[in-house]
Amino acid sequence: MVSERLALRAFLLLVVVMLATAAWQWRGAAPVSANLLELLPDEMPSLVEQQAVTRIEEPLNRELLVLVGHADRDQVLKLAETLQAQWAQQPIFDKVQWRFQPDLDAVRKQLLDGRLAYLPPADAAQLILDPHDFVHARASELQNPFGATSPVAAQDDWLGLSARILKGLINPTRMQTDLGTGALVSEYDGKYWTLLRGHTRVNAFDLQVPAQAAELVRQARSQVAADKGELLATGGMLYAAAASDQATREMSLMGSIATAGSLFLLLGSFRRWRAVMVMIPVAAGVLSGVVVCVAIFGKIHVLTLVLGMSLTGVTIDYAMHYLSKSFTLRPWNVRRALALVLPGLTLSMLTSSLGYLTLAWAPFPALRQIAIFSMASLAGAYLCAVCLLPPLLKGFKPAGHSPLLDVARFLVRSLRRIRRLRSYTSLALLLLLGLGGILMLHVQDDLRQWVAPSRALQEEARQVSVITGYQPTSQFFLVTGATENEVLQRQAALSARLERARTAGGLQGYRSVDQLVSPVERQQALAATLTTLPADAMAPLAALGVPDASLHEEIARLGALPAVTPSQALAGPLGEAWRPLWLQTPDGFAGLTSLQGRVGSAELAALAKDLPGVKLVDRLGSLSELFSSTRQTASWLMGAACLVMGALLCFYFGLRDGLHILAVPVTSIVLTLGVLGYTGQPLTLFVLFGLILVLTIGVDYAIFMFESISGRSTTLAGVILDAGTTLLSFGLLALSDTPAVRSFGLAVGLGITFCFLLSPWTGQHHARRATATVLARPKTL
Amino acid sequence: MMTTPRQATSPRRRTLIALGLACLIGGATSSLPAHALDLDQLAAQLASVPMVHGKFVQEKHLRGLPKPLLSEGRFVLARARGLLWLMDTPVKQDYRIVPTGIEQRTPDGWKAIRQQAGLAQQSRLFTAVLQGDRTALERDFTLSLGTPATGWQLDLAPKSAMLKQIFTRITITGAQHVERIEMSETQGDRTVVRMMGNNASQPASPQEKEDLGL
Repeated sequence: MVSERLALRAFLLLVVVMLATAAWQWRGAAPVSANLLELLPDEMPSLVEQQAVTRIEEPLNRELLVLVGHADRDQVLKLAETLQAQWAQQPIFDKVQWRFQPDLDAVRKQLLDGRLAYLPPADAAQLILDPHDFVHARASELQNPFGATSPVAAQDDWLGLSARILKGLINPTRMQTDLGTGALVSEYDGKYWTLLRGHTRVNAFDLQVPAQAAELVRQARSQVAADKGELLATGGMLYAAAASDQATREMSLMGSIATAGSLFLLLGSFRRWRAVMVMIPVAAGVLSGVVVCVAIFGKIHVLTLVLGMSLTGVTIDYAMHYLSKSFTLRPWNVRRALALVLPGLTLSMLTSSLGYLTLAWAPFPALRQIAIFSMASLAGAYLCAVCLLPPLLKGFKPAGHSPLLDVARFLVRSLRRIRRLRSYTSLALLLLLGLGGILMLHVQDDLRQWVAPSRALQEEARQVSVITGYQPTSQFFLVTGATENEVLQRQAALSARLERARTAGGLQGYRSVDQLVSPVERQQALAATLTTLPADAMAPLAALGVPDASLHEEIARLGALPAVTPSQALAGPLGEAWRPLWLQTPDGFAGLTSLQGRVGSAELAALAKDLPGVKLVDRLGSLSELFSSTRQTASWLMGAACLVMGALLCFYFGLRDGLHILAVPVTSIVLTLGVLGYTGQPLTLFVLFGLILVLTIGVDYAIFMFESISGRSTTLAGVILDAGTTLLSFGLLALSDTPAVRSFGLAVGLGITFCFLLSPWTGQHHARRATATVLARPKTL
Repeated sequence: MMTTPRQATSPRRRTLIALGLACLIGGATSSLPAHALDLDQLAAQLASVPMVHGKFVQEKHLRGLPKPLLSEGRFVLARARGLLWLMDTPVKQDYRIVPTGIEQRTPDGWKAIRQQAGLAQQSRLFTAVLQGDRTALERDFTLSLGTPATGWQLDLAPKSAMLKQIFTRITITGAQHVERIEMSETQGDRTVVRMMGNNASQPASPQEKEDLGL
């Protein structure tokens, strides 16, 4: 009595602490994340690579690209201006860029000081190999009535190097600057398109930001459509919004089906309203899961919530175990029932946690989170069922009769008849059947396992990349070196190969600092060439009337220009687009070569082959490998978990019975794999994680059936309830649109069904003995 | 010199604004009231002739060059289609400005000149002028029309910071027709186009018709 009150008080205190923590955690924005990239393994071989990945993913994560299109150029600029003004007011953006207004004075100065350093390699080659042609082209350019206006006056740059530099630098995209407004405009498919870039504040992947961004896009779309325009948008946050929408939808749908189904099962079996109280541990479980998860990870991922909600089916079991004793244990008394099932309950909680602990081993943040959530959730629900529920259920009078018990009795009777079959033989047959299917299994390790992004969004992203010519990817090359110049040389070597790949097709483009500034050696070679130009090379300019003195002065000035380092180049306005692609590292410097357009990982890796200091970083591409290796690890982990559990079970129940109990989940797993094989479903990593869960839950069922406290029929009724609620929750996941979740749900659903069907197999050999003991026990208690 | 207020309430005017080339037309109407000419009147006046032939001399005054770079040739302006700019010296080279941009004649036909930001802007400016797209012009420039002792003078002052860093001013002067266009660049270089002998009655030759897509 005293300890019971103490436990209750301690538990209530814990609940108060949890609620307070939760209130503090959710005080501002909800600590919920929907970033798909966060699901990816976050372990980086080096700090430099980690930094580089952050730089590359920044625009993917935090930028919203919007194209406004209209047949009329003025209209398009007006629409974009209105939209920019509206969005600049929105708190989710810290910057909404539309006009780009470079400081031309600074550009001019940088161009003049770095004319040799920034001259594109092709132009430098022409100047060195064919100076006559080069100068002739310059002279014609000056004559051209429609020659481009350059920010640099002709007399400051007679050779026109700055114009060539600008021409080379001018964006690799299809967008053109509108000098009147500074807008970026592209013409495509009979329409003018202008680009708006929304940059979100830090923590863009709070659950609200993607949703708000998606809503803003929706409003803008109808607003622009009202003016006969068109709007296209893309950005990581829109994918996140779609994913979290889908998750929320599935979470509420599956959550309510699971809850309604469980309630129906409960009320139907117990025929007492108070039976609903077994839902209280479910709530306690969700609370502790969320609180612990946010405490450890800082936030909780939507995927964790979806899978976590399905844990309902497990946490509901705890209270059900002792409530179901009311079917036969008469007079039923909550304390007595609890005392009877407490050891089994504890063992089951521990084995389940053990199963989840193996999940925590996986190198995927999402799975670690699910594991932590589940363990915390199980512990919370367990404590609630043990400490809080008994006082609440005091005086609960079970209904005289339960239809569920009739079902169980019928099953037990039928089983007795079936038992005539040699049980080991049938077990062997089942295993053989399963193995046959396993031989037909095919493995799937690619990205499709994780997510199935919305088709509409993908199509829109494709259109945006066609119109802008801008298609950022998360693949990039990391080039390291001891000095800035070494990195530059290595990047230049890589660029030469990339250029070949680009002309061959496949690769759309790339960006690396060596496109902006040449290695020191090239700058020096160019200066040397200029001072030794043939005497007549300047003739076309002289023919225009440029005084000889001016030309000599120009050559002398160019020859004396000091070499420009990447850091100097990047500091100026011309370097803006390249600035994120350069890093100072503890051992020197690193340059990132970012890529446009997706190319096969193998192809890219081949390009980097034999180049010193060049490494392909391809998180999405390396994912398949990681999936495959993790799948193998998971198989070993499952084997290890089997052994540990087997040892634990044999320690408790003796060798023979321990193995009998273990046979239930193991056979179920073999059969599940078999069914997947026969039906052509792929074996994915998530199937394995599901099977680990099946292992832990299956052991539970087997233990309960083996012990058969208060009779086999009663216990079977309890197991039916358990399996029913678990299937209602986990099994429903098989309906999810997210391949990972679906795969997981399918494995658990099948596995649990088999566990349920096989569990009565245990304890048959000592059934009579156990029943006798239990039947005798009520009298003695 | 007065600055015309932006006509926010009036419907968009597609009337021809007198820009340079368009103005060549000019000859037709000769009785300009010297006191109170406004932009609309000027536009209407210049719009009244659909096709003009004439000669041009373009001077590029580059700082650091003692003498300007000269180019000479003929032009044909068809208000509805575009402008042919047929240079004779220093080299023979034909250009045309059509709504899609600036193109030059090559042995393989008309080829667009690679559009850099500045050049694209110029071609749009010309097209805006050709089409009399006053709204487009007024978005980028402040227009002011003056009536000096003889004829008139239209000043285009760039509005945006970026344009200001390239042009300081574009000035178009004329009397009975457009005589001179001057573009002053911020860096001190200057381009002057003089247009002479505008002939508004001459019909287009078959070749000109083909080049302008008439």
